[in-house]
Amino acid sequence: MSVELKQPTLKDFKGDTSTWCPGCGHFSVMAGLQRALVNLGIHPHEVITVTGIGCSSKISEYTRTYGFHTIHGRALPVAQGAKMAAPEMHVIAAGGDGDGYGIGAGHFVHAVRRNIDLTYLVMDNSIYGLTKGQTSPRSQHDFVSKTTIKGNKEYPLDALSIAIANGATFVAQAFSGDVKRMTEMIEKAIQHKGFSLVNIFSPCVTYNKVNTYDYYRDHLVTIDEPLSTREEAIRVLKEHGGNVQGILFVEERDDFQKQLGIDWKMRDIENGPMDEQMIRELEKEFM
Amino acid sequence: MASIRKLEWKVGGQQGEGIDSTGEIMTKTLFRYGYYVTTYKQFMSRIKGGHTNYKLRATEHPTRHAGDDVDILIALDEETLTVNRSELVPGAIVIMEGKDVNIAEVEDYILATFPLKAIATELGNPLAKNMIALGMTGALISLPVEEFYTFIEEQFAKKGKAVIDSNKAAVDKGYSLVQEHLKDHVKTLEAVPKNPDRLYISGNEATAFGSFMAGCRFLSAYPITPASEIMEWMSVHLPAVGGTIMQVEDEIAGITFAIGASFAGARAMTSTSGPGLSLKTEAFGLAALSETPIVIVDSQRAGPSTGLPTKHEQSDLYHMLFGTHGEIPRIVLYPSSIEDAFYVAAEAFNLAEMYQCPVFVALDLALSMNRTTTPRIDASRVVINRGKIVTPEEAQKYGEFIFKRYRFTEDGISPRALPGNPYGVHTTSSNEHGEDGYITEDPEIRTKIMQKRLGKIKTARLSRPYYVVDGDAPVMLVGVGSVRGVIEEVKARLAEEGIQVGGLFIQQLHPLPVEEIAPYLTDKTVITVENNYYGQLLNWLKIHFPIHASSHKITQYDGNPFKVGRVYHEVKELIQDVRRTQATHA
Ligand SMILES: Cc1ncc(C[n+]2csc(CCOP(=O)(O)OP(=O)(O)O)c2C)c(N)n1
Ligand code: SF4
Ligand SMILES: [Mg+2]
Repeated sequence: MSVELKQPTLKDFKGDTSTWCPGCGHFSVMAGLQRALVNLGIHPHEVITVTGIGCSSKISEYTRTYGFHTIHGRALPVAQGAKMAAPEMHVIAAGGDGDGYGIGAGHFVHAVRRNIDLTYLVMDNSIYGLTKGQTSPRSQHDFVSKTTIKGNKEYPLDALSIAIANGATFVAQAFSGDVKRMTEMIEKAIQHKGFSLVNIFSPCVTYNKVNTYDYYRDHLVTIDEPLSTREEAIRVLKEHGGNVQGILFVEERDDFQKQLGIDWKMRDIENGPMDEQMIRELEKEFM
Repeated sequence: MASIRKLEWKVGGQQGEGIDSTGEIMTKTLFRYGYYVTTYKQFMSRIKGGHTNYKLRATEHPTRHAGDDVDILIALDEETLTVNRSELVPGAIVIMEGKDVNIAEVEDYILATFPLKAIATELGNPLAKNMIALGMTGALISLPVEEFYTFIEEQFAKKGKAVIDSNKAAVDKGYSLVQEHLKDHVKTLEAVPKNPDRLYISGNEATAFGSFMAGCRFLSAYPITPASEIMEWMSVHLPAVGGTIMQVEDEIAGITFAIGASFAGARAMTSTSGPGLSLKTEAFGLAALSETPIVIVDSQRAGPSTGLPTKHEQSDLYHMLFGTHGEIPRIVLYPSSIEDAFYVAAEAFNLAEMYQCPVFVALDLALSMNRTTTPRIDASRVVINRGKIVTPEEAQKYGEFIFKRYRFTEDGISPRALPGNPYGVHTTSSNEHGEDGYITEDPEIRTKIMQKRLGKIKTARLSRPYYVVDGDAPVMLVGVGSVRGVIEEVKARLAEEGIQVGGLFIQQLHPLPVEEIAPYLTDKTVITVENNYYGQLLNWLKIHFPIHASSHKITQYDGNPFKVGRVYHEVKELIQDVRRTQATHA
């Protein structure tokens, strides 16, 4: 059936009513994502949004697309599977720093090196929000929380350098207090062919009193152009203690599915008898 | 010259010595010669070294058990003889690697040693010692040598004439060695009609083939014995039809990739064994709560933990029946033969989509890894049914801004809109949700949607949820998977003595077809035969049937499949006990 499609508007993306705390950084991330999709002329039914579990992961409930709010840490594998089956869809994976870099860290590094064409938005508040304020893999050294009462003795995970070092083809970092820049980065990430990572500083106003809006306003250094080599990008991150916003590194290279060169038809199975001729052909292997 | 109509043959040696391929050549040769073959491979969790063997049973009529006995044993080392001595029948012939040619009667068998390696080296190909042993086997059963030639020509076609000739020469040498030294022991395996309408296939291959034909186009998994062959077979065949396998980072990714692909509209599966199944467990609930179809194949091995990674067991039944927190709809299937593995796998995809829930296909190592003779595929037995997927036209009729993905319906199954459908946009959630998919904690909705979700699978039925033979017998032997083969043999042996027992082989464990199988379990002596400690199958039946006083179990969990003889004796004893008790009470 041919469908007459109007230009999408923000209203089309309005999902369930949010339950985030007033002032939570995740609101702006959601606004940025929806705005980016509208700007790109993408309709809700052309998007699959897969999230894990956490305050941040509720973005798939509050944004009207084909959403899949999955289980803790598994947004990336579900999103990658969805993209494999439906390459014509735009796939967004999203979730928190705990979801992506803690319980889901194993999937993260492999998604990076696999380079399936999807956009991964990590809403990084350096805390476990939904479980009410425990230390996360992104919490700073000596960060005090209910689970690190004498301060966090681990050092925060440098997810961006991991991604860059492992062949990521699009790595950016944004701040939900700077919606305009963030939206531009999300747009570019969606347009990028391959795995695109946007780590977004998204303050938790309720539980993280260190990584606040003011903290980022004071500390963030903006870079206007992607760096030319991976080494350079990692060096710049290190130099500023990770407090950088902008697109850090981009490389154009064939994504996973393109490299396989398969004429994807996974969804085309129709009701009816099995293909007898194919059975007879394949049986020869067993004779 | 004595003529025989069956052969039980085994080849054994150190891992890495080509035992498996030697066994395959012998088996496939007899398969093509017209015999029904069943096999069992015994191997260890290491690549080189350690005893391994390959058992073949060739019979005139179909069987599903590789047999307890050995007529001819090819022992490439002494350990093979030690390990397998107890299986030798009186008059068995053992051909063993040794320093000199020596033929001796030892106890009740013939021990023939030959310096196989030296002879092969003399022929210019030390690797061909196994081919010499095959030639000797052929000679001992008077198999026309051409039967091997055809196979060698096919097998080594790519390697060229020199390799083909040297293998033929090795086989010839085997024939002449028998003429020279073992002439008196030669028998004739009767020729039987050749039948081209048969397959020689393993449970893993049949499962993969069935899944493929049912339209499965995506398999994500992590390598593990004894399941890897499913992924490997699919890897060869999927790209041509627009699909692929993915070897992913772990088993959690294995199942969640597949759930993602299924959500997006593909028929998708994951395949694994015990340790992998444990890792996937949280995601059973994700598929169930989000009502996303998924097929999970568990090719069981001996657990727990790493357990006996290359050994046989049937101890994951509880896990498949009960695994994951909370309560979920699920369908658990277990083909009772290699032949059925094709159809059960194919139907699993229909059931997954029709009932929108996880479907488990249980296999066990004996079923998974060993090849046997089966009839060719009956294409008419499975018709693809994708369940309630709505077209854009159908979705549009609802006129909803948010498509009610979990719409309450009479049968509890809600129409599914696939991503891309302009009128079906919705969110699906692993949180409890209402009809619209959005999170809710409303007690009334929670109660109602639990009832919908858990109730919807009641009518799910495999086209053959069980097989029964002699269902009116007073004693029923009940089993799943490869155990069917043992039960059939035991049943036949008892029948020869006039003892009547029936056999019930359940292929759908959940939801259990209670009413349909009730006649075979009530007011009878029920004996389950199972490869686990607890009697998981029996306990599952006890939940559904009042059989506490009338049931028994025969179990084995040493890593090996049952021997027919052992089960036969135990069943006989149990029957005598029951009779004695009944007599006392009377
Ligand atoms: C397997 C599992 N373990 C633990 C939890 C509990 N849990 C829910 S959300 C969460 C952390 C969320 O933190 P993050 O991903 O950073 O998201 P945020 O709430 O900060 O946005 C945890 C531990 C869970 N749901 N599942
Ligand atoms: S707890 Fe923190 S992360 Fe969660 S909604 Fe509130 S402010 Fe946002
Ligand atoms: Mg967080």
